[in-house]
Order: sequence, then structure tokens, then C-alpha cells
Amino acid sequence: MPSARTDWARLSDQDVVLRARAGHEAAYRELIRRYERPVFALVFRMVRDRELAEDLAQETFVKALNAIESYRPEFKFSSWIFKIANNAAIDHLRRRELDTLSLDGSPHAETPEAMQATALQIGARQETPLETVEAKELGSAIEAAIGSLRPEYRACILLRHVEGRPYEEIAEILNLPLGTVKTYIHRARHELRHSLAHLKE
Amino acid sequence: MTRPSGQHLSPDEFDACLSGITSAECSQHLLNCDLCREQLRADRELAEQIASLPLIGPKEGFADRVMASVFIPDPFAIRSFQATRRRLLSSPRSLAIAATFALVLVGSMAGSIIWSLENQDTLASIGTWLFAQTGQALWLGLQGLASNLIEQPWYTGLKSLVENPVRLAVISAAASFVYLGGLLALRRLLALPTQRVAHANV
Repeated sequence: MPSARTDWARLSDQDVVLRARAGHEAAYRELIRRYERPVFALVFRMVRDRELAEDLAQETFVKALNAIESYRPEFKFSSWIFKIANNAAIDHLRRRELDTLSLDGSPHAETPEAMQATALQIGARQETPLETVEAKELGSAIEAAIGSLRPEYRACILLRHVEGRPYEEIAEILNLPLGTVKTYIHRARHELRHSLAHLKE
Repeated sequence: MTRPSGQHLSPDEFDACLSGITSAECSQHLLNCDLCREQLRADRELAEQIASLPLIGPKEGFADRVMASVFIPDPFAIRSFQATRRRLLSSPRSLAIAATFALVLVGSMAGSIIWSLENQDTLASIGTWLFAQTGQALWLGLQGLASNLIEQPWYTGLKSLVENPVRLAVISAAASFVYLGGLLALRRLLALPTQRVAHANV
């Protein structure tokens, strides 16, 4: 039983899940704390709409945590939750065609306030105004290039290079053969290099 | 093993190089092949650019919004359920007893339903007879109780006590107060532990 001094950081995901299954609210919150950023980032870059990403990320966690009993501890918790998140994003993309991403806000925002509210929040690192503009331009170009990839390529490249997941885990998350994942990542890199070539010039 | 001349690095070899694992053979090839060297450099640059995309997270209060829709099972109920399950599954004998009990229960319920459906007239007549007998027994009991009460030596005193409306009101108020006090005490005794108590050690 966890005590008041439970050092959550020392516990593995599996241990935290066991405590959540025993009905400890703090364990649920710990799982959310560990995965809210990566899950949100994945979903956001898949659907390219902040409000929608919030809803889909929330749906992912609610689905996962309410079905915590069905999670099998022999698999990684990260794979399980990324799989649910990816399925939620892919389901949405299948239902709806998306516009290109703008770092200045959601393509579905109708007022300047909504644009501001849905704008992508850049990290707090101190940059000069020129660096900020350059970084934003490059970041925007990369985000747009990733956004133009096929959803399967997009999921592969995000899980590999943003989340740093190994190929085997990506294959498990996306339910694809390992060889297909490698091919998708290779092709995605090729397409991205091609899309970003103009920046070099 | 040496690489056949003219053959470039495979996607797997590029991935290995990107992950920082470069075999001697690949290093040798990269020294001599401008095309692969350039592709590896571009891939490395791209991977770094993607990895340095801004960190983004959901709006504040995300965890609370999620938790509002999450059902947390009661730890006490879980422990009691787990203990029962453990006891039932502890040996083949206990499992067999539980299965037999469940079978007998389900079988008798099914038998009872079938018999009731086939003998509705008998059931109706038994019901009417039982109703009449119960009513008669209750009436006789009530009569016996009343005659017993009247014959008690303290009956006259009690009767004179409740004949005065003021005294009756005082006695009723006192009785109600005692009854309410008892109810409150019972409620406190029987209340389930709250979440706060259940999670005090977390």
C-alpha cells in the first residue's frame, strides 16, 4: 500500500497501474501526469487543432483509465495509451479532412481571440527576436511538412523522432509489421527532406 | 564481410547510424560514398529538427477534467471481492462447492419459475388462503394484545397520564427526541468510510 511518502517517480508504470487498480486516486493522477504531454503532443500533431486535440487527449485518458482493468501488465503502458490515442486521432482523421497547420492558431478558429486561444504555445527558452522568428518559421515549416504526410507516416515519424520510441514499440502501437514501420519512417523522412528542401535555399 | 561495390547503405543501416550504432563496414562505406554521407547528414539534421519541436501540453486543469469522467473503484469493495474470489478459487474443492451451490441456486430458481407458470391457479388459491389466514391471525393477535394491556396494573396510571394533553405533548416530544437521537447515532455508526479516510495513507 502506498504511503504518504510514496515516491511516485521511483515506481514503474506497471506499479502505478497496480495501485490505480486497487482504487488509489493518486495513482490515476500520476499516470495522467506522466503521459498528458506526450499523448497531447502526438494527438495535436496528428489532428493539428488544439481544441480538438484537448478533446481527443481527454477521451484517450478517460477511455484508458476507465478500462485500466483490461490493461495487460506484460505490455508497456506507454504502448497501450499511445495506441488508444493514435486510434482516436486516426478515427477522427478518417471522418474529417484537415486543413494545413498554422502555428498562429486553429484553422477552425473563427475570431482573432479564438486564433490566439488555439495558437501553439512555444517553450519558455529565452531567444532573441530573430531566433524566435527563425525558430518559429522552421518549426512551422516542419510542423506543416509533418502535417502533409499520410496519417500512418505522420504517426510513425512522431513516435520515432518526437517521442523517441523504438521501432518494435511503434509496430505494437500502430499494429503494423516491423518492416512496414521501418519503410514508413524511411519514406516519411524522404518526403520531409523533400518538403523542407526550400528552407535550405 | 565486405559490401559489394556500388551498393549503398540500406534503410536499416541508416537507422542504425542515426541511433549512433555505426559498424566498421558502414563507416568505411561512408568515407567513400558522398551520396550516403549526404543522406545520413540530412537525416540526422531532420531528426534533430523534429526532436526539437516545441514541447506542447494541454491546458491547465487537464487532469481534473479527465478525473471528473473517470470511475475509481472503491478500495474496500475491491479487497472484499478479491478476498472472496481468492477463497473461492483457493482449491478445487472450494471451487466445486461454489459451482454446485451456484448450479443448485440457478436450477431451483428455474424450476420455481417453470412450476409457477404451469400452476397459476394453484398459486392463486394458495395466495388467497394465506391472505385470509394471515389477516385472521393478525386480528386475533391484536385482540389478545389489547386485552392483556388493559389487564396490566399500570394501565390505569398510563391512561390518566396521556389523558392530559400537555403531558401527552411533553411525552411525545421527549420520545421523538430520543428516537431522533437514536437515528443519528445509528447513522454515524453505520456510515461507510469516506474517500478521504480510505485514501488517508496515499
